[in-house]
Amino acid sequence: MNILEKSELIKNQEFTARENVERFSEIIEKKNPQINAFLEINKEQAQKKALEIDERLKNGEEVGKLAGLVIGIKSNINVEDFTISAASPTLENYLGSYDATVVKRIKAEDGIIIGMTNMDEFAAGSSTESSYYGPTNNPAAPGLIPGGSSGGSAAAIAAGMCDLALGSDTGGSIRNPASHCGVIGFKPTYGAVSRQGLLDLAMSLDQIGPFAGDTSGIALMLESIAGLDPQECTSMEWEVPPFSNLVGENAKETLKGMKLGIVKQFQEVTDRPIVKIIEKSIDQMQEMGAEVVELSFDYIDLCLPTYYLINYVELFSATRKYDGRKYGSKIEEVCGEEVLRRIHMGSYISQKEFSGKYYKKALQARSLIRKEVTRLLKDVDLLVGPTVPKLPHKVGSTLEPLEMYAYDVLTVMANLAGIPAGSLKAGEVKGVPVGLQMQGKPLEDAKIIQAMDAFENLNK
Amino acid sequence: MKCGLEIHVQLETDSKLFCDCRTNYQDTPANNNVCHVCLNQPGAKPYPTNEKALEGALKIALMLDCKIAKEITYFMRKHYNYPDLSSGYQRTSIPIGYEGDLNGVRIREVHMEEDPGQYKPDTGTVDFNRSGIPLIEIVTEPDMKSPEEARKFLKELIRVLEYSGNARGEGTMRADVNISLEGGKRVEIKNVNSIKGAYKALKFEMVRQKNLLKRGVEVTQETRAFLEAQMITVSMRLKEEAEDYRYIPDPDLPPMKSDDSQVQGIKEKMPEPPHIKTKRFMDEYHLAEEHAKVLTSELELADTYEEVVKEIEAEFAALWMRDELKRVIYYNKMTFMESEITTSQIIELLQMLKDKEITTKAGQRIIEQLPQSSKSPRSIAEEMGLVGIVNEDEVLNAAKKAIEENPTTVEDYHQGKKAAMNFLVGQVMKLTRGKAEPGNTVKILRDLLS
Repeated sequence: MNILEKSELIKNQEFTARENVERFSEIIEKKNPQINAFLEINKEQAQKKALEIDERLKNGEEVGKLAGLVIGIKSNINVEDFTISAASPTLENYLGSYDATVVKRIKAEDGIIIGMTNMDEFAAGSSTESSYYGPTNNPAAPGLIPGGSSGGSAAAIAAGMCDLALGSDTGGSIRNPASHCGVIGFKPTYGAVSRQGLLDLAMSLDQIGPFAGDTSGIALMLESIAGLDPQECTSMEWEVPPFSNLVGENAKETLKGMKLGIVKQFQEVTDRPIVKIIEKSIDQMQEMGAEVVELSFDYIDLCLPTYYLINYVELFSATRKYDGRKYGSKIEEVCGEEVLRRIHMGSYISQKEFSGKYYKKALQARSLIRKEVTRLLKDVDLLVGPTVPKLPHKVGSTLEPLEMYAYDVLTVMANLAGIPAGSLKAGEVKGVPVGLQMQGKPLEDAKIIQAMDAFENLNK
Repeated sequence: MKCGLEIHVQLETDSKLFCDCRTNYQDTPANNNVCHVCLNQPGAKPYPTNEKALEGALKIALMLDCKIAKEITYFMRKHYNYPDLSSGYQRTSIPIGYEGDLNGVRIREVHMEEDPGQYKPDTGTVDFNRSGIPLIEIVTEPDMKSPEEARKFLKELIRVLEYSGNARGEGTMRADVNISLEGGKRVEIKNVNSIKGAYKALKFEMVRQKNLLKRGVEVTQETRAFLEAQMITVSMRLKEEAEDYRYIPDPDLPPMKSDDSQVQGIKEKMPEPPHIKTKRFMDEYHLAEEHAKVLTSELELADTYEEVVKEIEAEFAALWMRDELKRVIYYNKMTFMESEITTSQIIELLQMLKDKEITTKAGQRIIEQLPQSSKSPRSIAEEMGLVGIVNEDEVLNAAKKAIEENPTTVEDYHQGKKAAMNFLVGQVMKLTRGKAEPGNTVKILRDLLS
């Protein structure tokens, strides 16, 4: 039963919202102490909301698209009265003072928010180990990191603790943990989903997106949260496709005639066992009628430095408000080493004397990458390849910053170019999930969802 | 000396620059006009830039004869750490207009900014009602050569801002004043909040720097603060300690482009700037500069004058409007607009004076009754019995009577006391109920007393 089917069951009162909340609460209670996916749970509020939905259904009243579905939210998205800590001691006492636009929309569609998920501190990481509240364990591969920074949301889905979850993706923070945990994660086109209420990592790259165990869940969540927010300037005016109508029925047909671009440099930087699984997936898609085109991307080495320079400067700027006057502690005095490193780097390279040398160069490099990505996508429908170039490491192992950053090499491009990208499970290497990444043209999010749906059906 | 100014004034809008909060911060209890956006709570993003603020800034730039940036306009983040700044940076736009001119002082640029909150160091509290109110900043070239010139420029600038109808005037002004003397480095004075303050700060600084230079002491580049209460400046920081604001373009606000049709639309609607109007009044109505300035001091007054001169001779109208009318509204502490005096009231009054239906003195008394009155000058004149000019004989009789009844004053007059004559004229006025012409009365009295 996929999410869409489950949502129908609830609407038809064959399964109640209350039962749904009850079931997930039990799983959370049982598993969360080991997994540490959720940082905060509000069971009472969820139960209350569930009863209200069931009541309305009983009375034959209309309910929203997400009616009765249980949802986890990453701890950097404002939800009123939950602790929006961004997994940092800086904000350990900050209660969400307003609802982010995506949260307003989830509530309007009768989604039930059960709690806040773990993450890397201020989303600056790819392992969820830098959380002030301790690491999250990977439910699909216990003992290994779940990836990050939205590791809590990915793990919550993988452990069956909720139906849907939201994460944020600045350089892969949704797709990376989706890949490591063997679930589906989707980063929409920049501007497709409002960022109003999302705590900043790098404003020009951040994007909120959904996690789910199947594509129908991604579709349902995306169509609920996407679309113009007149109160967020980078949000785009676009006709949101009825994503949930596009999945299911003719899934296998959609790959027929679709042009898939394979970038050889993406495979080159990736560990061999992962490449093998990806190649097999591509073969399968070819068998279903997709056409494969070999492409070359010469700027892959430019992506990480460009990404990190922008990330440092924008995080530095965004964290100036945590000056110790309003939210308790001054960020530099309490944050972890990765956040501190980025703030110091950001402060250093944005100095007047370096103006033009680093940040402006990075912005120029970004335009170049964007242009090049447009060229790559010109004659194909999607780019397909690995999501992460290596397997997750053991929780607690020591990595140099550059080793850590190397996790992001295949995912930052989508953020730099603002294009949509999703990751879903392609297979396993010794029991550890491996993700297949699909990237598309701006606002062609639907194409990725359809292709993911087709691929998912193929492996059923 | 050379002086350049950076002047900030609030733009007149109903809502803030990047959110829907109201801007009436002065009549609102502390921290009431706030939301997550202007408090810059975690995750909050600016709403799209207030169109009215942008339009006001464009209008002011055009009235200052600026070129309008053809390129895209965007906001920069200017980072600094202060309790009143809830985000840790101030959003400040790149120039909207540049290379303007106001009476020979070159305008380097005009741009927009957001106002921070208000920090009270004595109580350690911050009121964020003001946070996010749109400001316009006007930066001049160092073209003013004395404190007097700077004062003159500021007065003129405030007049332009008032004319625009889009700015809040001197009450919200904050200026940075730059001054350099020959042989010395540039000194910047902050915390100047009025025209008088700018003048006093410059005066003080000029004397201070002259004394240093005279003693052979170097004037170093530094930033000083003006202490309003003491009218002095004190050192804040030297050039070496200058803050680095780490400017970056704000990623939350996509670039905007001011399109030509918008600029054209503003140009067509915008009032003629006061300094240009002053010159036109001098040419068109043959007025002296000082008089033209008085008449253009307020847009509504200038407009009314131009209506009046369609019926009344320009010089006569100017004389009455700049002297008597201004005196009355000044006495009532009103603007001309607030006085609610209409064009037709002025025309009727001046017509009566010209037709010698009333005396000058009576005219003065009538004009005093006009503020916030809907009565016509004629009905006021009739109610007060001021219609008509008395003939020479009546004045003569009244003058004789005044002399008879005030022998001590007459004695004073003969001893050369000037006030004595004024007193006698007053008596004649009283006896004739103000209908005697003062000039003529003096003549008659002099003749009688000689």
